[in-house]
Amino acid sequence: MVDFVRGPMVWIAFGVFFVGLAWQGFRFFKLTRKKSLVHTQVWPQASSGRKKKTRWIEAFSAFLETAEKKYRASVFATHPIMIGVTVVFHVCLFVTPIFLLAHNSMLENSIGFGLPSLPEALGDFLTLLVLSCGLFFLLRRLFVRRVRAITGWSDWGAFGLTLAPFVSGFLAYHQWFDYRTVLFAHIVLGELMLISIPFTKLGHMIFFFFYRFFLAGEYSFGQGRRMW
Amino acid sequence: MSDTRTCAPVDKLEIKRLLRARKSMMKLYLSHCVRCSLCAESCFLFMTNDQDPKYMPSYKVIQSVGKLYKKRGNVDRVFLEKIKKIVWKNCVLCRRCYCPIGVDIPAMIAFARGVCRSQGVYPDFDEQGAAESWL
Repeated sequence: MVDFVRGPMVWIAFGVFFVGLAWQGFRFFKLTRKKSLVHTQVWPQASSGRKKKTRWIEAFSAFLETAEKKYRASVFATHPIMIGVTVVFHVCLFVTPIFLLAHNSMLENSIGFGLPSLPEALGDFLTLLVLSCGLFFLLRRLFVRRVRAITGWSDWGAFGLTLAPFVSGFLAYHQWFDYRTVLFAHIVLGELMLISIPFTKLGHMIFFFFYRFFLAGEYSFGQGRRMW
Repeated sequence: MSDTRTCAPVDKLEIKRLLRARKSMMKLYLSHCVRCSLCAESCFLFMTNDQDPKYMPSYKVIQSVGKLYKKRGNVDRVFLEKIKKIVWKNCVLCRRCYCPIGVDIPAMIAFARGVCRSQGVYPDFDEQGAAESWL
């Protein structure tokens, strides 16, 4: 059982993760279609005549003015702490496991190739950072009325699936409790998280980009050339 | 006219057909809402009603479209009347709601309205105007 979880199951989990993401991507592009001309908004083009030369200082101040207006109307201004914590959480969520020394040495032992690794102390600090952000989300979900009003079981499931590998990894690194049991739990929980990403709420990992970059809409980043 | 409309039994087959037609899109949106509540401030009704959570865009979507799919369309008229209040009285479909993930909240509210309307459930401003305030 332990050998299976440490061996083939890891590759199965990675397989389901990548194939699942690819399948969801395929599904998204099948469900959506290219925006037709009817739905294309035509913006007035800049005049083709000679443009008035603007000094760079004017252009820069205009840019700053627009940026400030956009900032004031965005969630960055209404929820600066939440957005800050969210950004830190998501960055660390990726960076920590991918560049962790222990993971990369195992990868190198297994296939003879490993990614660059962070110093052990930094990896430990980033794990603590993820857990601290998790604590912030937990308190928010428990005590903020508006968040509590919309929280369901699936949210607790996604919360647990995301943080459990980090909690168990932290415990395993510091060798608290029975090391072998904690390490086994860490591997199982990590595999569970990978498998569940494409098919659960955690799928926003890939669908965030689909929704915000590919779909046409007022809030889309970039062109947004597709529609349902 | 109003009586016949409100007493007629619900056509569950039609509701199920409507739900099936938009299932993929709606289910994806519902499952990818991370319930962060960041959409709240973008709703002017939320801001002008003492920040009551029931006016949050995500709450309105979960309580209307979410429940329709959860019940797989097996709903009665009483349930649709509840949704009517959520998607018409608590939302004016001004399309100002903002979701950081990119969930198209107005499309979902409009869909819930469509399901209600298919069963003759919609606000009767002329007849109920005096009895019930919609604003």
